[in-house]
Amino acid sequence: MSRHQLGDELERRGISRRDFLGFCASMAAVLGLPDTATNAIAAAVENEARPILIWLEFQDCAGNTESFLRATHPTVADLILDSISLNYHETLMAAAGSQAESVRQRTVRDNVGKYIAVVEGSIPDGADGGYCTIGGRSALDIAREVCGGAAATIAVGTCAAFGGIPAAAPNPTGALSVADAVPGVKNLINMSACPANAENITALIVYYMTLKQWPPLDQYRRPLFAYGKTIHDNCERRAHFDAGQFVEAWGDEAHRHGQCLYKMGCKGPATSQNCPVVKWNEGTNWPIGCGHPCLGCAEPNFWDTMTPFYQRLPEVVGFNVGKWIDPVGLSLVGLAAAAAAFHGIGEVARHHLGKTRPIEDKAGSEK
Amino acid sequence: MTLKRVYVWELPVRLTHWLLFFSILTLSATGYYIGHPFISVPSPAKDHFVMGTMRAVHLYAAIVFTLAVLARLYWLFAGNRYARFSEFIPLSLWRLRSLWRTFLYYSFIRHDPDDYPGHNALAALSYAGIFMIYLVMIATGLALYTVIASASSPFQVFDFLVPLFNGLQMARLIHHIGMWIVLIFVVAHIYFVFLSSIIEHIGTFDSIFSGYKFVPEKEAERS
Ligand code: HEM
Ligand code: HEM
Ligand code: SF4
Ligand code: SF4
Repeated sequence: MSRHQLGDELERRGISRRDFLGFCASMAAVLGLPDTATNAIAAAVENEARPILIWLEFQDCAGNTESFLRATHPTVADLILDSISLNYHETLMAAAGSQAESVRQRTVRDNVGKYIAVVEGSIPDGADGGYCTIGGRSALDIAREVCGGAAATIAVGTCAAFGGIPAAAPNPTGALSVADAVPGVKNLINMSACPANAENITALIVYYMTLKQWPPLDQYRRPLFAYGKTIHDNCERRAHFDAGQFVEAWGDEAHRHGQCLYKMGCKGPATSQNCPVVKWNEGTNWPIGCGHPCLGCAEPNFWDTMTPFYQRLPEVVGFNVGKWIDPVGLSLVGLAAAAAAFHGIGEVARHHLGKTRPIEDKAGSEK
Repeated sequence: MTLKRVYVWELPVRLTHWLLFFSILTLSATGYYIGHPFISVPSPAKDHFVMGTMRAVHLYAAIVFTLAVLARLYWLFAGNRYARFSEFIPLSLWRLRSLWRTFLYYSFIRHDPDDYPGHNALAALSYAGIFMIYLVMIATGLALYTVIASASSPFQVFDFLVPLFNGLQMARLIHHIGMWIVLIFVVAHIYFVFLSSIIEHIGTFDSIFSGYKFVPEKEAERS
């Protein structure tokens, strides 16, 4: 897309140059790049060859698609959609049936090693992949074909990144993450969260267009710019946490005053994402901002290890260990003390029955 | 029966014991608060730092604790025979017999205690167990610490521990359960120390301060 064309396009949609640069500056901010990167980003978005995207949906709720379509900055979503070529996207494309399938196959064939695969949803390997089939082929098959030939694969949402809700115990369909379903997949980037934040997906693509490389990742292959800090570290309620001011019940005084949700089960201390900074819905607000604890949606196994959501410590396969550990622990310590006391009584009895070594022996040692 | 004075606990054993004692008390008190913040303070937030202080003290105590555990582990290889590795694992025949004897003694079936100058075999086994728990506490603690430390902190090398425990929340739960196991051990341990001091009167209680025990001559020579 030439500069001229993009300019026209922006104008046609009522986006001023100023708004566009504002968008580029906000992308630089999300990416943690200096202000000076704004121009490079603008140039890249305007002039660079559009990356070709194939967006696959498997065991998902289309939440990431929804999130992406409603990307922040009104109509800048469209802009990004226009500056990438979304060749295949089941929810968005007009084509259907075998027509759609052939578009995907053609794109893969003609652009081997050049396109970007985006995967939304987990991939089941139960029943030989039969739990999720599209056009008669299993998700497993399609994922291996499409991701196998991609320059990079972006797993959007926790289901694609880590298995997510479909993979929660007992994982009836054998749901897998992209990393597990497509072993050896090249340049995998996990954009976990439920759903992935559109701002972050957009920023990732902008990063790639600008710098021609993928950003540094954490150990779960998530970009550090979005997952480098915990929710807790950037939380606006953190001062209340450090002070020791906690919500004890929904709607109590502390809750009305916006104090810390730690005791209501907030998983912010165990969850890495930039929600407090980027927020949701065009920066309107975010869960903790409106009084709800973080659910830990961006972490591996979140459904299994972050639940119960309104309790701080987790359940373990049906046993609510987190809830009972303190009363049980305290009782066991008490029990140990009681057992010791009883044993002590036994010892005293034994001593009085003359069964033990007489005290005088100690004196013998001091000779 | 004559008792002989034997030097059993060298300085590193005694020193690490008491460092561990004080750090564990501190870690348990602050850890319990972190897990279960029972003190709530009035507004404004800027005037208080209760949780912040608890966490800071927990982390400083954790440094003392970890270094003491490492020192004690080193002394498993460098210490005298009573401090060594082999003391803690009842593999030899006489140690197994001592284990059994101690058990019978505590069960009121036998009436003469095992007078071995070092840890009796049953106590030693419980210490081996508690050393394992120490390592679990350190590993889960370090896993939890990776998200507290800055991204450029050298402590990030421990981030591989997080998936090992199936995520931070499971690490947290294990860490929390570990505290109760340690505290149950502590109650039993202190009871048995006093028991053995009062009933066996071989100077067990004093030994962890002075290093010396008083044991029957024939036992002192046992190896
Ligand atoms: C016997 C020794 C220890 C005990 C009894 C203990 C106890 C605890 C407890 C009960 C918690 C609260 C867990 C929860 O969230 O429910 C905790 C948190 C924590 N402990 Fe320990 N701990 C011990 C040793 C350590 C060590 C050695 C380290 C570091 C290497 C450590 C680092 C931490 C960290 C980082 C947290 C999380 C603090 C937070 O989330 O703000 N602990 N500890
Ligand atoms: C947090 C509390 C405590 C813990 C975790 C603890 C742990 C231990 C451990 C692991 C040992 C083995 C020493 C080694 O070989 O390095 C030991 C020995 C010993 N501890 Fe403690 N201890 C605690 C509190 C106490 C207290 C309060 C006393 C004194 C009243 C005490 C008295 C002793 C004695 C006398 C020994 C040597 C016992 C023997 O002959 O086997 N401990 N303790
Ligand atoms: S609300 Fe949650 S993330 Fe925010 S400070 Fe409290 S515990 Fe941390
Ligand atoms: S606040 Fe927590 S649960 Fe909510 S979107 Fe962010 S990471 Fe997910």
